[in-house]
Amino acid sequence: MKGFHAFCVVLLIFGSVSEAKFDDFEDEEDIVEYDDNDFAEFEDVVEDSATESPQRVITTEDDEDETTVELEGQDESQEGDFEDADTQEGDTESEPYDDEEFEGYEDKPDTSSSKSKDPITIVDVPAHLQNSWESYYLEILMVTGLLAYIMNYIIGKNKNSRLAQAWFNTHRELLESNFTLVGDDGTNKEATSTGKLNQENEHIYNLWCSGRVCCEGMLIQLRFLKRQDLLNVLARMMRPVSDQVQIKVTMNDEDMDTYVFAVGTRKALVRLQKEMQDLSEFCSDKPKSGAKYGLPDSLAILSEMGEVTDGMMDTKMLHFLTHYADKIESIHFSDQFSGPKILQEEGQPLKLPDTKRTLLFTFNVPGSGNTYPKDMEALLPLMNMVIYSIDKAKKFRLNREGKQKADKNRARVEENFLKLTHVQRQEAAQSRREEKKRAEKERIMNEEDPEKQRRLEEAALRREQKKLEKKQMKMKQIKVKAM
Amino acid sequence: TGELQTKLPAPCRRYKPPPSECNPALDDPTPDYMNLLGMIFSMCGLMLKLKWCAWVAVYCSFISFANSRSSEDTKQMMSSFMLSISAVVMSYLQNPQPMTPPW
Repeated sequence: MKGFHAFCVVLLIFGSVSEAKFDDFEDEEDIVEYDDNDFAEFEDVVEDSATESPQRVITTEDDEDETTVELEGQDESQEGDFEDADTQEGDTESEPYDDEEFEGYEDKPDTSSSKSKDPITIVDVPAHLQNSWESYYLEILMVTGLLAYIMNYIIGKNKNSRLAQAWFNTHRELLESNFTLVGDDGTNKEATSTGKLNQENEHIYNLWCSGRVCCEGMLIQLRFLKRQDLLNVLARMMRPVSDQVQIKVTMNDEDMDTYVFAVGTRKALVRLQKEMQDLSEFCSDKPKSGAKYGLPDSLAILSEMGEVTDGMMDTKMLHFLTHYADKIESIHFSDQFSGPKILQEEGQPLKLPDTKRTLLFTFNVPGSGNTYPKDMEALLPLMNMVIYSIDKAKKFRLNREGKQKADKNRARVEENFLKLTHVQRQEAAQSRREEKKRAEKERIMNEEDPEKQRRLEEAALRREQKKLEKKQMKMKQIKVKAM
Repeated sequence: TGELQTKLPAPCRRYKPPPSECNPALDDPTPDYMNLLGMIFSMCGLMLKLKWCAWVAVYCSFISFANSRSSEDTKQMMSSFMLSISAVVMSYLQNPQPMTPPW
């Protein structure tokens, strides 16, 4: 009995000590992770007190309630406890292993661990909290696209610039030998050659040459493809297009006779006939084949009259046309050139547009898009053709018949135009007269001096009466004449 | 002498830029369209908080710049560009989530 009492006392003392230790532990609520070392204290306590198992069960359960999500650590620590418990039991207790004692011990932690498993569902962390670059793949794609666009812009711009420079280097000598002023952008006070191309755009370069007999000047425009725009580059992959060189020679009035003539690819001529004012008015027939003169099938002719065609198609011109047919898009000589048809919203324009004697050439650069600077040399003979054409236009004169026909044509066109616009012109004149009257009336009204007002009104009345009288006189005269 | 005959220093005509105020716009309306589209998309991106609208606006303003004519106003270009960049930045400040494709 005494031994039993002593045992109970010892038990109580050690129990309180261990509880105190666990209290300290319970107070720490923020502990998330457990290392095995955290349970070192408990291990010591377990080794010291042999018969503490039931209490330990209770306290570890408390621990489990307070611990948080990390199951693995918990499992490990529990196992550690179990192991220690087992070894402890084996070492210190002489009593046989009581399975009943440990049933609850193992089950309870299991059930409690399964309980703690249920409410836990692992949810995917939202993308913006993930802190990984992979989720931003669309943004990276966009930025890459932009960079590709910028790269293409730089490359395309440089290529166009190199092509333009190559063209100019090839043609410089010929131009400088024929023109005094090569290269002018209109900004200098004096007419000095700049000697370089005038860049209008990333894909358009201009060159103005002047100072030659026969012509006022020559404007050369290098219209390259938009290599600096990636969208354009991609569109061109579907449909190949060529770079073009457009040359416009303005002739002096006395250096060119009156005719309208065009030669070029059939497609280009059809388009020009629709678009250009002079071609649509003077060359009403469809483009004719030039086989009669020995031209290749790809080229067709639009002409005001047959005499002009005969005159234009001399041997040298034919030579140029046949040899370089693939590079020629269109050639257009006209004394009535006024540009493309102007589509005005108020109906017909009230007066004929200004015309200028012009020679227009459009050439395709070989390569149809995939051009290299050395391809520009192939265009040099075409420039020779241009110079030859200028001289030819000066020399070529229509004979008497041709001139008569030409004059008749021009008179006809003008008459048609006047007829079409007669009504509009009348209306315009009427509206102008009405405006004048209104302005006068306003002036009268605005006069502050009543005297002056009266006088002005009387003057206006008198003027109107005079007009009426004049009209009546005219009518009388017409009646008399008719009689 | 042949060369001398062909050249005449006196009647040198100065270069006059062709009087085509309306023609450039008619020939190639791309930069104007792209400018307008860019502004519309950037306003959509800002108001409706759609990221892809803002990105398309940036692309539009780049395309407009690449196609621009020499007579084009750089101020217009810069303002459209700045607007599109601000649309992108504002969309991401308001909502740092990565973009979802519009389909």
